[in-house]
Amino acid sequence: MDRNIVIAGVGGQGIITTAKILAEAALIEGRNVLVAETHGLSQRGGSVVVHVRVGDVEAPLIPPGMGDLLIGLEAIEAARYASLLAPGASVVMNEDLQPPPLPRVKAPSLGDVLGSLKAAGLRVYSVNAVEEALKLGDARSANTLLLGYTAGLGLLEGVARPGGLEEAIARVIRRSRTAVEAYRRGLELASVH
Amino acid sequence: MPHREVLAEPGTRVVMLGNVAIARGALEAGVAYASGYPGTPSSEILEALSEASKKLGGPHVEWSINEKVALESAYGASLSGVPAMATMKHVGVNVAADPLFSLAYTGTPSAMVVVSADDPGMWSSQNEQDNRWYGVHAYIPVVEPSGVQSAREAVIEAFNISRRHGHPIILRTTTRTSHTRGIVEVGQINVEAVRGKGKFRRNIERYTLVPSHARRLRIELLDRWERIEEELSRSSLNSVEGDGELLILGVGLGYRYAREAARLLGVEARIAKLQTPVPLPRTFIHKALEGIDRVLVLEEGDPVVEQMLKAFLHDEGVRVEVHGREDGYIQRWGELGLDNVVEALSKLTGVEAGLPKPPRVEASLPPRPPALCPGCPYRGVYPGLRRAVRSSRVEVVYSGDIGCYSLGVLPPFRVQDTIVEMGGSIGLANGMARVAEGQVPIAVIGDSTFFHSGITGLINAVHNRNPMLVIILDNRTTAMTGHQPHPGVPVDARGGEAPQVDIEALVRAIGVEHVETVDAFTIRGVERAVRRAMDYVRREGKPAVLIARGSCILVALSQARRLGVGYPVYRVNPDKCMACTVCYTAFNCPAIFSLEDGKAKINPVLCTGCGVCVEVCPFNAFEPVEEPSEEWILLMRTATPG
Ligand SMILES: Cc1ncc(C[n+]2csc(CCOP(=O)(O)OP(=O)(O)O)c2C)c(N)n1
Ligand code: SF4
Repeated sequence: MDRNIVIAGVGGQGIITTAKILAEAALIEGRNVLVAETHGLSQRGGSVVVHVRVGDVEAPLIPPGMGDLLIGLEAIEAARYASLLAPGASVVMNEDLQPPPLPRVKAPSLGDVLGSLKAAGLRVYSVNAVEEALKLGDARSANTLLLGYTAGLGLLEGVARPGGLEEAIARVIRRSRTAVEAYRRGLELASVH
Repeated sequence: MPHREVLAEPGTRVVMLGNVAIARGALEAGVAYASGYPGTPSSEILEALSEASKKLGGPHVEWSINEKVALESAYGASLSGVPAMATMKHVGVNVAADPLFSLAYTGTPSAMVVVSADDPGMWSSQNEQDNRWYGVHAYIPVVEPSGVQSAREAVIEAFNISRRHGHPIILRTTTRTSHTRGIVEVGQINVEAVRGKGKFRRNIERYTLVPSHARRLRIELLDRWERIEEELSRSSLNSVEGDGELLILGVGLGYRYAREAARLLGVEARIAKLQTPVPLPRTFIHKALEGIDRVLVLEEGDPVVEQMLKAFLHDEGVRVEVHGREDGYIQRWGELGLDNVVEALSKLTGVEAGLPKPPRVEASLPPRPPALCPGCPYRGVYPGLRRAVRSSRVEVVYSGDIGCYSLGVLPPFRVQDTIVEMGGSIGLANGMARVAEGQVPIAVIGDSTFFHSGITGLINAVHNRNPMLVIILDNRTTAMTGHQPHPGVPVDARGGEAPQVDIEALVRAIGVEHVETVDAFTIRGVERAVRRAMDYVRREGKPAVLIARGSCILVALSQARRLGVGYPVYRVNPDKCMACTVCYTAFNCPAIFSLEDGKAKINPVLCTGCGVCVEVCPFNAFEPVEEPSEEWILLMRTATPG
């Protein structure tokens, strides 16, 4: 089965690293994978989206309407790229909303965004990954925590197995102890969900 | 970024970025010299080659001052007998175009590949130019890999063709090949060749393009062009599969879209993979067209192949319908995508597309353009600049340039009135200085850009006495493209020590009299220095230079992490904050938010400890959670990459 995963957030949140981990894990699982990344200008705090395609795929970009999972590191950006999703697809979101640093721009609230995603018929799960990662000592591990949470919900089936993801984290992140711990914490939180 | 996977064991399958696959292919092909100037989406190719070079002792890799020098350096290496490569983004080829055209005339005794990384969709560029035209224009064949999956083989084959014909090749990649990660099976690196040295063998009749030689070489060139075209018809890079009355001609990455779209729609079609668009391999195309009555051309960029195909059909007297970008089956601008390809194919075949309708999310989402990082040295410079200009009551034109500092175009800063190309800030200011009545041009330019092509404009301004203020933003790196070094910092491409060219001494040496260096992290310091410089420009009618120095905070942070230096985080004292909004509107740091009551709050995860907010707040509400260390204060002002 082909899997189309959108990862969205704000430049600097470790979005490309998250995608790299997924790609390594897919390789470990023996699956074909393509990751289309956003580099350059938008990495400076702009809107960033990465397309991860697993399976019998050839083109790098997910067409609108065909994504089956969205991992959102930031709420506004998660909502922005929800248009890539299929009806009824899943959204796993970090409970973090960063108003864009534009003077006098009104940002919606986290509750508004979650509500509108649900109202659009998407299956929405959320966790405060930054807060949980901070408890482990490093806010930058919010991304692997969210990955663990996603895996724990069973949403990465056909992409990678939990063990494979752990190995992938160790391959991609140089000093990976906290990142792996965060990943495990994510798994645990999902089982409580 | 190290890109260690470039050295993966032969025979293994590894996940790598398209650009890293290109680097790997070059190593397998035995590239012994590589130069380039950074530019998205090309930069990782040279970064990966540097990483390889550190471990293998070759190839020689360097970041050049600009693309023209990069191409010339690789040209020189290639004339000296080793396979060479120059890498750049599409607009970089404009800068390098002069030697490029000559390269086709002289040819090379070894092999040479010029990588042009095009950016359809303009994700990180000022235009959408399609550099396959350079191939047509300069008589240089273009190889265009069909995605990350084929990038490695395509580069190896590009070197082979170049070697066989003693002729350069342009490897055209696009954003979705360069910046897509995929699984690549790697082969053997030619270690002996990458460490190789050569010899320049004199051949005056060939390497000196005086008119009498050039006339002969022009005829030889046309002859080589014919032979290469014939050979490309048999190239392993091109192939045909499937059958039907419809031919989908998939050029480069277009091939991948062709296959997936045909499968999605369940359409029977013949699909041709064309990875050598220029020159159009006529025999190959002829065969691919047998029994076909309609063609859909899928290519990234302009209708280059589409137009050549139509001309070819006209010459052959063959009547086949050709669709693509010219007749709007695929839109003229932007990238290919499965959605627009499926739509075109569906329109052509009448097969219902049936892509699912995406869910409608009813939320009004504010845009999120990129912004200067929290702690960026430019965030202190721009308010200082604006205050000085406001108080000097002079009308100014902000002649802007390309780099992270271009983000000063956005509110609240608005200190870039023009952004056209690298070096253009000072270039344009030369003309403005003479005719824009009652206005003083202020050129705002980064350090890497100044070396790239700002210095020539400044020499021009000195010699022609063109009054302008030039602000060189010296953040000790080429930040926008991923923190590469440049001649002004003491590191080379491989992270080794290198002599650094002193901007201040350089500027004085060319005759600028008013030169001042100021700490970028003090708004008032910048304000006073700008005022002094503006007074000089108006009084003397000559150019003045202000160098605002402060390290890119991302480089400072990564050095701090490496050296175990802590950085402070700041917070707002809620009793002192009067909700005046200055810090999150006029100063606009992304780490500072407004609370319901309008008071400010710092997001400690985003704060990088630059401390400039302390100076911004009229009520002294910002304070460090812990006092900043001297090491950190120094790193913020001196850190360089590597
Ligand atoms: C001819 C050309 N080459 C390369 C680029 C890509 N590019 C955009 S900004 C930039 C460098 C900017 O460096 P610097 O001037 O130091 O500014 P910073 O990003 O550090 O603020 C480069 C290389 C380009 N736009 N045009
Ligand atoms: S990367 Fe560096 S120069 Fe660019 S915006 Fe961030 S801090 Fe400023």
